[in-house]
Amino acid sequence: MPRPEFIYVTYIETTPEKLWEALTSSDFTKRYWWDTRVVSDWKVGSPFSLVLNGRTTDVGEVLEAERPRRLSYTFRHILNEAARNERPSRVTFVLEPHGKLVKLTLTHEDFAEDSVVIDGISKGWPAIMSSLKSLLESGEALVIPLDALFIDELEEAYRS
Amino acid sequence: MNKPEFVYTTYIETSVEKLWQALTDGDFTERYWFGHRCASDWKVGSEYRFSKQGHPTIQGKVLVVDPPKRLAYSWDSCSPEAQRERTSRVTFDLEPRGKVIKLTVTHDELDERGVTLRNISGGWPMVLASLKSLLETGRVLDIDPPPVAKETACA
Repeated sequence: MPRPEFIYVTYIETTPEKLWEALTSSDFTKRYWWDTRVVSDWKVGSPFSLVLNGRTTDVGEVLEAERPRRLSYTFRHILNEAARNERPSRVTFVLEPHGKLVKLTLTHEDFAEDSVVIDGISKGWPAIMSSLKSLLESGEALVIPLDALFIDELEEAYRS
Repeated sequence: MNKPEFVYTTYIETSVEKLWQALTDGDFTERYWFGHRCASDWKVGSEYRFSKQGHPTIQGKVLVVDPPKRLAYSWDSCSPEAQRERTSRVTFDLEPRGKVIKLTVTHDELDERGVTLRNISGGWPMVLASLKSLLETGRVLDIDPPPVAKETACA
């Protein structure tokens, strides 16, 4: 039985530098990621966290930061108790120039057995990546109602 | 063991009507689908075909037409290397989410480790990224798509 993993590929009309900035700067992430701020100094071994409406939703550690080509961090969702008790999974972004575009490959893998997180991230990433692409290409992020994604683990965050 | 399937979700700032048109109108598909024009009357049971510069590339039968919510068709690649593979199926689900449309493409009934699975797994992210760009910015993506086989196995 193959281990579950989530892979999402998209192509964005931008540069690797701008895309790197969009993935690592909270000024950028709060525009396309439901007001989520990404917090880290992006040194290997440094802590990483996502903060939504003042509440930390996810934490991890920077594994790779090879600007502007490859970014990887461990990922543990901490709002929900079952998720908090799982061992961390791993998120990797690979940025490759593709003609005048950038091919972005997101891989989220290394989940615990019977992970409760995989369902939520499988719903969340396509919305986040779609909004990121819109922001970089048109200057406007998407307004996707977070509660329309039915991510159980984030229910508290958007109700509070 | 699950049969392999490929599922891709994207969110597009458009209307369901425009997105439906983009999926079913040959003038539209030719722009974002790297020159592939679709042609069909889009009635259940009818045939449809994609062609590029007059050469057939994909064909099949229309399975579900529920505008502007769901479209499904069977999928036979005209590539000679895919001829031994079984017919697969593509389903498009269009769902409004606020001012944005959630588009889910499910390509299933694929052969394990087949060339169709390999080709569509690389192809759908390109096609759908270009579709999203066209609907949101008016410009398609400038991508060099994978080459299409000159020979065709479609009559």
